[in-house]
Order: sequence, then C-alpha cells, then structure tokens
Amino acid sequence: MPPTGLEPTRMNRKKGDKGFESPRPYKLTHQVVCINNINFQRKSVVGFVELTIFPTVTNLNRIKLNSKQCRIYRVRVNDLEAAFIYNDPTLEVCHNESKQRNLNYFSNAYAAAVSAVDPDAGNGELCIKVPSELWKHVDELKVLKIHINFSLDQPKGGLHFVVPSIEGSMAERGAHVFSCGYQNSTRFWFPCVDSYSELCTWKLEFTVDAAMVAVSNGDLVETVYTHDMRKKTFHYMLTIPTAASNISLAIGPFEILVDPYMHEVTHFCLPQLLPLLKHTTSYLHEVFEFYEEILTCRYPYSCFKTVFIDEAYVEVAAYASMSIFSTNLLHSAMIIDETPLTRRCLAQSLAQQFFGCFISRMSWSDEWVLKGISGYIYGLWMKKTFGVNEYRHWIKEELDRIVAYELKTGGVLLHPIFGGGKEKDNPASHLHFSIKHPHTLSWEYYTMFQCKAHLVMRLIENRISMEFMLQVFNKLLSLASTASSQKFQSHMWSQMLVSTSGFLKSISNVSGKDIQPLIKQWVDQSGVVKFYGSFAFNRKRNVLELEIKQDYTSPGTQKYVGPLKVTVQELDGSFNHTLQIEENSLKHDIPCHSKSRRNKKKKIPLMNGEEVDMDLSAMDADSPLLWIRIDPDMSVLRKVEFEQADFMWQYQLRYERDVVAQQESILALEKFPTPASRLALTDILEQEQCFYRVRMSACFCLAKIANSMVSTWTGPPAMKSLFTRMFCCKTCPNIVKTNNFMSFQSYFLQKTMPVAMALLRDVHNLCPKEVLTFILDLIKYNDNRKNKFSDNYYRAEMIDALANSVTPAVSVNNEVRTLDNLNPDVRLILEEITRFLNMEKLLPSYRHTITVSCLRAIRVLQKNGHVPSDPALFKSYAEYGHFVDIRIAALEAVVDYTKVDRSYEELQWLLNMIQTDPVPYVRHKILNMLTKNPPFTKNMESPLCNEALVDQLWKLMNSGTSHDWRLRCGAVDLYFTLFGLSRPSCLPLPELGLVLNLKEKKAVLNPTIIPEAIAGTQETTSNPGSHAQLVAFQNPFSNSQDEEEIDMDTVHDSQAFISHHLNMLERPSTPGKEQAPLEMSMHPVAAAPLSVFAKESASSKHSEHHHHHHHEHKKKKKKHKHKHKHKHKHDSKDKDKEPFAFSSPASGRCMRQQNGGGCLVIQKTQQ
Amino acid sequence: MVTCAPPPSEASENREERARAPPTPPRDYKSHRAPRSRTLRQGKMADTAAAAGAGGSGTRSGSKQSTNPADNYHLARRRTLQVVVSSLLTEAGFESAEKASVETLTEMLQSYISEIGRSAKSYCEHTARTQPTLSDIVVTLVEMGFNVDTLPAYAKRSQRMVITAPPVTNQPVTPKALTAGQNRPHPPHIPSHFPEFPDPHTYIKTPTYREPVSDYQVLREKAASQRRDVERALTRFMAKTGETQSLFKDDVSTFPLIAARPFTIPYLTALLPSELEMQQMEETDSSEQDEQTDTENLALHISTDDSGAEKENASVLQQAPSLPGSRNGEENVIDNPYLRPVKKPKIRRKKSLS
Repeated sequence: MPPTGLEPTRMNRKKGDKGFESPRPYKLTHQVVCINNINFQRKSVVGFVELTIFPTVTNLNRIKLNSKQCRIYRVRVNDLEAAFIYNDPTLEVCHNESKQRNLNYFSNAYAAAVSAVDPDAGNGELCIKVPSELWKHVDELKVLKIHINFSLDQPKGGLHFVVPSIEGSMAERGAHVFSCGYQNSTRFWFPCVDSYSELCTWKLEFTVDAAMVAVSNGDLVETVYTHDMRKKTFHYMLTIPTAASNISLAIGPFEILVDPYMHEVTHFCLPQLLPLLKHTTSYLHEVFEFYEEILTCRYPYSCFKTVFIDEAYVEVAAYASMSIFSTNLLHSAMIIDETPLTRRCLAQSLAQQFFGCFISRMSWSDEWVLKGISGYIYGLWMKKTFGVNEYRHWIKEELDRIVAYELKTGGVLLHPIFGGGKEKDNPASHLHFSIKHPHTLSWEYYTMFQCKAHLVMRLIENRISMEFMLQVFNKLLSLASTASSQKFQSHMWSQMLVSTSGFLKSISNVSGKDIQPLIKQWVDQSGVVKFYGSFAFNRKRNVLELEIKQDYTSPGTQKYVGPLKVTVQELDGSFNHTLQIEENSLKHDIPCHSKSRRNKKKKIPLMNGEEVDMDLSAMDADSPLLWIRIDPDMSVLRKVEFEQADFMWQYQLRYERDVVAQQESILALEKFPTPASRLALTDILEQEQCFYRVRMSACFCLAKIANSMVSTWTGPPAMKSLFTRMFCCKTCPNIVKTNNFMSFQSYFLQKTMPVAMALLRDVHNLCPKEVLTFILDLIKYNDNRKNKFSDNYYRAEMIDALANSVTPAVSVNNEVRTLDNLNPDVRLILEEITRFLNMEKLLPSYRHTITVSCLRAIRVLQKNGHVPSDPALFKSYAEYGHFVDIRIAALEAVVDYTKVDRSYEELQWLLNMIQTDPVPYVRHKILNMLTKNPPFTKNMESPLCNEALVDQLWKLMNSGTSHDWRLRCGAVDLYFTLFGLSRPSCLPLPELGLVLNLKEKKAVLNPTIIPEAIAGTQETTSNPGSHAQLVAFQNPFSNSQDEEEIDMDTVHDSQAFISHHLNMLERPSTPGKEQAPLEMSMHPVAAAPLSVFAKESASSKHSEHHHHHHHEHKKKKKKHKHKHKHKHKHDSKDKDKEPFAFSSPASGRCMRQQNGGGCLVIQKTQQ
Repeated sequence: MVTCAPPPSEASENREERARAPPTPPRDYKSHRAPRSRTLRQGKMADTAAAAGAGGSGTRSGSKQSTNPADNYHLARRRTLQVVVSSLLTEAGFESAEKASVETLTEMLQSYISEIGRSAKSYCEHTARTQPTLSDIVVTLVEMGFNVDTLPAYAKRSQRMVITAPPVTNQPVTPKALTAGQNRPHPPHIPSHFPEFPDPHTYIKTPTYREPVSDYQVLREKAASQRRDVERALTRFMAKTGETQSLFKDDVSTFPLIAARPFTIPYLTALLPSELEMQQMEETDSSEQDEQTDTENLALHISTDDSGAEKENASVLQQAPSLPGSRNGEENVIDNPYLRPVKKPKIRRKKSLS
C-alpha cells in the first residue's frame, strides 16, 4: 500500500542514536514495478516503475537513481515530463583510446567509476531533473511520484532468459527467466535505488503468458486474466520495507508444489521435475523449525517461495521472501551424495532470509555482520543436523581455507573503513582490486570474506556464550519487526538496517562484555595468525617448556596478543592451560601433573571423561606427555605448525576424540612414514565409531606413507586386505559384495578407499599391477540391482581411481602416441572409460557424474602421454547444450591443455567463450579456472604472452564485461595472474618511442610482435605513466591514414590535452547511428569519474613509477580545473520528442554503441 | 422393408464396400424412393457408425468365405437383430431405410441387449448365483432407466410382428484339449467319481544329470561378464551406427566414443532417474518401505486432493502460520494464493458504455 498519507514533516530525519544518515536528499517510501510485456522470443521486457519519494531538503532539483541496461523512454514527475541524463561510467572504465595497460590504473579507475554511480554515496546512473513547476512543491517537502517507462532488450546481466530451442510454445519448451546477479544488481532490470539501505514497500505486477507463473517477493494478492484471456497478471504486494537489491523475479511454466507441512511455503520447479521437487523440499520445514526455535522469532515474511531454475547464476540466491536455486540441486531419494549438499543450500538460503533479506545492512562495510550471522546460524543448523563432528570438521575446513587464502593473497578485511578517501590509508593495498565496493571485489575474495565473517561470529560466540549471541540476534530481529510493522513511519525503517556499531552495541548491552579487542583484531584488521610451536620436557622440574613463535611479518599475517588455550594430555588425564601470549614471551612453562613413572595397569582418562587402556610402550619413558594441542577449540584464526614426536601424533590420532585433532594428526603423520604410523592409520580405518571423514583422509595418508615406505613395505598393498574384509564376499575375496549403501559411513569409505589405493606406487614408481586389477575387478563385479540407492557416484569414483593409477608414459624419443605402442594397462583403463562414457549416452547417470569422471580421466591419460593430447573431444563436450557439470569438466580439460601445450588457439577459443557463452556461470567459471590454472604467470616467459592478448583481456575487463560485476572482477583476476599489477612485460619498451596509428585495422608496430590474425584489436602501448591514452584526443575524428609520430613532450603536456579536449566538447553531438564507423575513436567523457580516477591513479602509483611522479602531479592539478569547468547537461527537449527513437541517449544499449556515455550532450557552462 | 436384410454373403460384401467408401450409400437402396420425411437418413452419424461397424467387423471379414462356425453364429445373430430392427421400423411407419441407418440401430440394439446381459450377470453374481433370474433382469432394466411396467403392455400390442426364430447353425465347438500319454487310473482308495488324474507330463519327474550352477562365485562372474558383454556390444553397435569421436587420430575403431550430442534441455536427462532406476527403486522400496516415504506419500496425498476444494475456506491463511511442524493429518484445506483460481478481468468497457 503506498503510504501516500505520509506527512512530509515526519520525514525529517532525527539524528537519533542509531544514526543512519541517508546519502540521498530524499526518502523512498514505496515503489511500483510493473512489467507488462515479456517476450521470450526476443528476450525483451517492457514496463514501468513508479517511485514515491519524499524530499528531505528544500532545494531538491535533481534525483539520482540507479539503472543499467534499461532503455528509458520517458520520465514523469508528478505527471510532468522531466528531463533526465543517463550516464554509466562503468560501461567502459578506461577510455578506448587509452594505451594504459597497468592494472593498478585500471583498478583505481574502476573503483572510481563504481563510486560515481554508487547508491550508498547518493549517486546513480540516471539523473532526473525535477521540473521547475514542481520546485515550490518540493520546497514544501511534498511527495513526488516518479514514473519511468523503460524496456530491456536482450539483457546481458540482471535478468537471465533460458529459452530452449525446440518446437512448441514457450511454456512447452520450458522457457523461463529469472533475476540474478552479484550483490546489488537490481538496477540491471529496472530503475531503482539499488542500495541495501534504502527500504520501501513494494507493489509488483507482472503480466505473463497464461501458461506461465510469475514468482516474486511478498504476497500474491491476486492473479487476473487480461481481456483477451491469453495472459494473466500477477499482483504482488510486499508490505515489509525491503531494499530494491532484495527484489527478484522468476517467470516460467513452473510446476507448483505447496509445502505439505507449511502451507504458506510454495515450491516451484521446471516441468517434469515435480517428483524431484517433492523429495528435495520435503525436508525444508525442519530447517524452518530450527531457525525459528533458536532465534525465538517467527519467520518474518508471511510466505516463502523457493524456485528452482536452470542456468543459475549462483546455486543459492536469497531475496525477500523467496529464494532462487539452481535446478541441479534437485534430486531423487536414490541419490546419497547430493542430499546433504542440497539441504545445506536450503538451510543457507533460509538463514539469509532472516539476516540479509529481512534485516539489511547500512553500508558495504557492515556486510560482514549479515554474512557472519547468517553463516553462523547456518553453522548451528549444521551442528544440529549433521552432528558435532561434521560441524567441527566444517569449521576446521573453513579455517584452513581462510588461512590459506589470507597467507596467499594478503588479508581479508571484514570491516573496511574509508576515512577521507586517501589512498595512502588504503587498507587493501596488497590486493589488485579495491575493497571499497562489493562490485570491485574478486569473487574468491568475497567467498573468503563470507567464510571469515562466520568464523569471527563464532569467535564472538566463544567470548560471550551462545545464549547471549542468540539474544542479540533476537533483539535485532524484534527491533526490525517492530519497525517493519510501522507502515507509515518510514523513518523508523532504518531500524531494519544493521550496522557494525549497532551490532556491537547490542552485544555489549546484552552480554555486558567488552569484545572490542576481539573486534579490533579480527574485524577491523586483516590477516591471520601463524603459530610455530615446539616443546621440551624438563624432567627435573616436571615441567613442559612450550615455545610458541609467531610469524607476523609475512603478508596476510598479524600479531596475536592474548589468551591461548593449550591442552596437554598426560598419563593422568587431560589438562587445559590458558597461556597469555604477549609481545616478547616465547617460552611458557607448564607444570605437569603426572610423574613419568607410570602404572601400566591404570587406565588413562581422556578429555571427555572416558578412560581407556593404551599401549604405552611407544612412549618416551621419561615423559608423561601423550600429546599436546594448541588452540584446540579454534578460537583464534590461525595456522599452527606444531612439532611433536611421531608417537605423540599416533596417540593423538588413536585416542583423542576430537575430529579436528584426528585430522591434524593425520596430516602430521604424512611426515612419519613408519610401521607405527601405518598401524595407527589402519586401526583408525577399521574403527567404525570413528568419524567417516577422518577415515577417508586416513586412506590418503596411508597411501602416501606406503609410497614413502615402498622399499620396506610388507604384505599386500595398503588397504587392500582391509577393503576385502569390509566389502568383499567371504567366500570369494576378489568379488565385491552386491552394493548396499544403507550405511552411509561405509558407503563413503567404500568409495574413497580405491581412489586412495590407486595412488600407491611401487619401486618403479608405477601403480602396482595388483591394485589396478583390483580396481578393474571392482568395476567388473559392481552390481547395483539390489541397492536402494544409485551407484553413480560410486562408479564415478572408480573411474577417478583408474585415473589416479595412471603414471607418465615411458616415451622413447618423443615418439608419436599411437594405438600400437599403447601400454597394456592403459588399454584396459581406456576400455573401461570408453564403455562407461558410451553407456552414459544410453543410460545417463545423475548429474552425469560418470561422464565428468571419464573426461577428467581422459585428460589425465593425455597429460601423461598415453593418448595424444587433443582438445577436440573436450571442446565438443564444452558446448552449450550439455549439462553444466560436463561442460565445466570439459572446459577444465581445455584450460589445462592450453597451459600444457601453450596453445594460442585454445586460449582464444576460451576467451571467445567467456564473451559469448549464454550461461553466466560458465563464463565466470572459465575465467576462474584460467586464473587457477593459468597458461602462464607474470614472471614467466611464454609465447602466449603477447601484446594482442594484453589488449584483448584489457578490453574484456574494460568494457566487455560491464553487464556482470562478477565476470568483470574475474577478468581482473585473470589479468592480474597473467601480467601482474604493473605494466605487462611483453609490451614493447617505452623507450623505443611511440608510434601511433589512428587508422583502425592495420598493424602499426613491428609485425613480428603482433600476429596478423588478431591485428584487428591492436593498439600501441606506451609508457604507463605518461597517460598516453590521451594522445588519441589529438585527432579523434580525422581519418588520417598516415602514421603519426608523437613527441613525448606533447603527450605530456596536459595543457595541450585540455585545450584539445575543450575543442572536442564544443563540437555538435552527432546522432549515434552515424557515429558507428567512428566507434573506436569516440571518446566518452564522463567528467566526474574521469577526474576522480585520474586523481586516484596518480596518487596510488607512487611506489611503482617513481620516474613519472612529476608528470602525475602536474596532471592532477590540471584535471581538477577541468572538473570544475565542465558540467553535464542534457538537452532533454529534443530527445523527449522522439522517445522511442533508437538514438535515445538514455538507452543503455545505445550508450554502448556510442562508447560508454560519451555522446551525452555536454555544454560548457559558465564557470 | 422387413425383407431388406440381404443374404449373408451379400451383407458381408456390402460391409466391406462401405468400409472402403463410407460416404456413398449403396445404389440399390436409393431405388426405393419414399416420401422424404419418412426416410431415415442419419448423415454423419450413420457414416461414423458404419465406419465403426466396418472397423469392428474388419477382423472377421478378412476371410471372405465365412465358413468358421463361430463366424456364422455371429452373422446369424446380427441378421436376426437386423430383422428385428427392420420390423420395428416398419411398425413405426417407415417405408424404407438406408442401410447405414439400419446398421446403426442394429448396433445400438445390440449394445443395449449386451448391456442388459452384462449388468444382469453382475447382479446375479452379486447375490452369489451363477444363473440370472427374472428379478436380476428387472433390476437391471430399472437401473438402466427403463420403465418395466410398460413392458407387458408393449409385448401384447396388436400390430407387433412375429419373427421366426433364426435358423440354428452349428454351434461353435470347443476343441478337445490335447492329451499326452496315458492318464493314470485311480488307485483303489480314491472313489471313481473324483476327477481323473491330469496328463502325466504335469506331474512326472524327469531326473536331470547335471546340477544347475549355484556356486556364488560363478554366478557373479557370469552375471558380470554377461552384463559387460551386453554393454560392450550395445555401445559398439551404437558407435558403429552413429557419429563417433576418437582418442587416436590414426585409429577410430578400437576405442570408438559415441559423439557428444548437446541436448535442448540438458537438465532433464541429468536429473531425472532413468526408467531402469525407477523400476529398481520401486522394487527395493516395496521390500523395505521406511517411515519417511510413508509420511511423504501422505503429504502428497493431501496436496493433490485439496487443490480443488480450497475455494470455500478463506480463513486458513490466518491459521497457517501456526502450522509449521505440526503433522497435519487433520488439516484438510490448503489455502495458497498460487492455487486460487485466476480472476476474470473486470470488464470496464461495459461500464463505460452504460
């Protein structure tokens, strides 16, 4: 319901203690989104939005909104035509003519461009001028209604259309469309204030084909047929104030399932998948119950919808009262492996419904609170559902991940504060991207950010107890729900936003504890702690002398000062000690409780009170110490490298009941290939009470140990007899029992053991023949007829096992690989793979797991030289139209091929796919895989590394990926991996002078440097500090065919540049169509962002380019002047007369044609 | 017109002719020019009925000379019915009728009588008898909406025609069961009125000389290699008959890979269990159905049953929030906005007109 009755005086923000200050001079209270036409054939959308806003200042004459891609036809404010300007500097970050290829420069420019349209700074791409007739109205702070007609044509981001190309109507084909994106991406599909902090109520209307269903946020009020009865309109009402970024949409011929346990929950899936949907969602109500119980708070929305769609952008996307999932999460009751994963996804999305959708954030720097809380309560759900072992294992995994990432790339900062915007204080100078905005973050960084956020929440829990923690959450939720029910008091709505300070305040109010040091350490500061521990036992004093060192100088580390728990298991029991880690104290004396003389008959008490018999013969007779653990509860984000004797690790593995300790000892035992380690590991493997994941990793450790001990190993290959005993028939040990996966623990073990066994190597470093035959027999005798569950994952792992057994081919004189010289073992493997792969065509397995494994195995064979290396097979599987898992596996193989064979052709093929593939996830994934497994890196000589590639990638991140934040950041990551932060080494040296050719499509530099094939994209490069891109201004419109030598001095002379620039600006604007041939030379002029990034780039380059320092400063000043001189102005009158013309300057698409917003009419105004 | 029934051979031929060209009625019937109003024409209906009749009789008319006694029987019955229909028509005052119309009426009469028979049989079986009695027939007729009271009067009407009983052709003979060997005579302690022993082959034991393989290992071995052989043969066949890819450039036949073909909707094959798996699942499920699937079925039942009947109850939404977790066996009505009927558009034009 539009709160039109709102009195404007109420809108005056009180500077209350919560202190949320809107960056905008108005308050949005209600928004209508109406999409009245969706064309699946053309992939287009037509509709309008209407925003109800209340000015908060008297002289409001310009309203900035966010909008990308949308073509805007008409804007009316209170029914009066309004002029508007559309300018999106992120379309092209650095201008086309730029010869700059320095990543630092790009990142700064990109951050500046994003800032320039950042709604959290009150900016936007769309600037609407309030008609002068309304100025008086505005001065009285009366309501304004902004009505915007827009359309979207073939959107490249924001909305994703899936239209299978088969016969039939769109509904019969299963065509659907859904909104997607990373962080706040709603502006891609309708004009809005795309901020998480601007809340309003919503009315959403979607007119769709009668056979389709439109699912969106809030309550479905009614569905009405259109007059011709061919279409119907879905009317949604969302009365809980919600940020535009949490608005979503999914339209398709969905099958509808009302949750049998909770009737207000509705599930949607694509046609034919209803049985899977029933099974998959049958569990959801338990998650609901769990969260509502621990939060003692009802689910905030009156309904909940889950939609499962194809070609998902991410597996789970949570929006207000609905979540969009990948259809690939659906599974039947026969599938074991996918079940926990899918349930985790469901639980994750539900946690985000509370924190993330219902409770939103004030600013980007508060994001960690939401991610932290939702991740933390999701963790609690995991603990309850899968047990403490699984939970602790997960925490350890997450901890290891974040530690590895931070040590590799530098720190992850949860709560970045940007005071003054000075680049010197840049908290993330170690990174190749800015962390100021979510849209500039590397995807990997963002995943790690989320990981760290929930780990830190757990640390807070450790500090203040879970009860208090949940009380805090409850408090946040109840405040928010009180605020949300205040329908007409939009100033109250800021209570629904969480901020770091608000969160910390509630913690101290509820718990009365000061957690400031903890916050300072982990939230306001990046980095993890790296401990090195060793000890000595002083027999005389009966004291354990523990030495704990820290490394806090390496990147990604920080110094830890404070308490540290150490657990010592002695003969008389387990004892906890809390050490104070201080600046200079390395050594800690811990008194021991037990005497080293031991009573052999006595049982040894463990931490959990259990008393066990141990064989103590392996122990050091003088010491009562069994094992020592540092920070056993993972209450510090740390990596511990601790030295203790092998027998201590073995005791720890056998007798410590904590899975984390067991996991740690397994890792440590890899370094101790002794019969004792072997025995300990085998015992663990056999022990059914032991956590299955520990047993699984014991398999791999055992394989490693066996390989290290190969010369002294006795008996059959490791694990073979064990496997035989556990899973093979009693009477005929070479035949595996018919499959029965009722016990999941043994199922996982059965799957893993052969994979680990295949890693065994004999003295010749080959996989023992015995092992290979064993695996082949497992495949041969595999019989799933009596099994309740599908064996597709099991069979896939058997193929993985085969692949693991492959060793490099013995090659004589690099002979060509043919069938004749094929190794007989490989022939057997190949036969199995062929048969499996072919059978998949006839009887496909769930998620095609077997095809995926086969493709990987084939790549392994190629890589090891058994089969000729050839990407053709993978390329055919990578095509659009295969199941996404297959495509990714195939692409991974192509990426690997590109690296190993240094194939320029394949790299081009991949780059092409990044730009053209219909599935955003696949594009993202290719970039991601190329970054993980790069064809070359910055310090490497490679024939692939050439100027054309630099240009190509530069273009990709500069303008080719403007429709997808995630993709652009992926391209930046790849560029960084390949070329590093500074100027790519393959570019010609700047000292050689600069030759510029202004004619397109002709090689300028020495043709030996630039291959002919890609000459279309060539651009000469120049000195990174010289701002040579500006040179292009010298003559952008002349079609001069001559090469022009440009004096470096003129280039550096910014005065010349500016005067030229001004000349250019005074030219009359040309209609977009006519400009097409000049496309490459057109220069977008976005005054504000240009000057901003110029400024930033100048200061951030200090360290890298000392010799250009001088010029930079000069330029900086000039640019400032420039900024003041110019102002955007849009002659809207002309354009409004022909609102549907293709040359409308407001159209995002047109903008791109005309090179990123440069065509705006810019007039020189009075200074 | 009563005599219009053609001789059997002709009838069957005619039927065939009709089957070939249903829309044109046979010439000879047109010669009977009668007042138009009293001529029975059924147009389309007759055509379809004839076509149906032709289809039904197609199997029989396949053999032109209907020498089969069973066939004869059917024909005779049909002919009698036709005579009845014709006589009733004459009685009703028709002078002529098209062949097609007569056929249709015959068809209707036949099915009516069959229905009486079928239904009467059911009634009699319902009361645990095997022979229908008069009351069964009466109940049947009542059930079929026939006013039984009018029947005696109708039977005694004056102008009724009496039709001679059809000539009884030879009844179909059930062929004698094949016997093999000599039946064993009853031993003395069995009274002779008991049925005879069945044929010896049904109970005589034939000793075999080799034990069937029951060794587990051999069985598994056999099953495995059989499956493998089938799979290999099948995939090879598929590879040979379709496009292939090869891992070795010089050799395309040793490891032929069926070429990858993109799907239009890739997720369907990837996610839906194959029929084989479904079958397997049913088999294993029936043996060990656990609690979960039971509740699932129950839930499923609710959701499908109630989707139609939610209209009456609009107050459920208020109750709904209290539901989570409660196993709602007693909950019968679901109100979900997505299940509500789509509203008709408000007709604005009419309003503006009036």
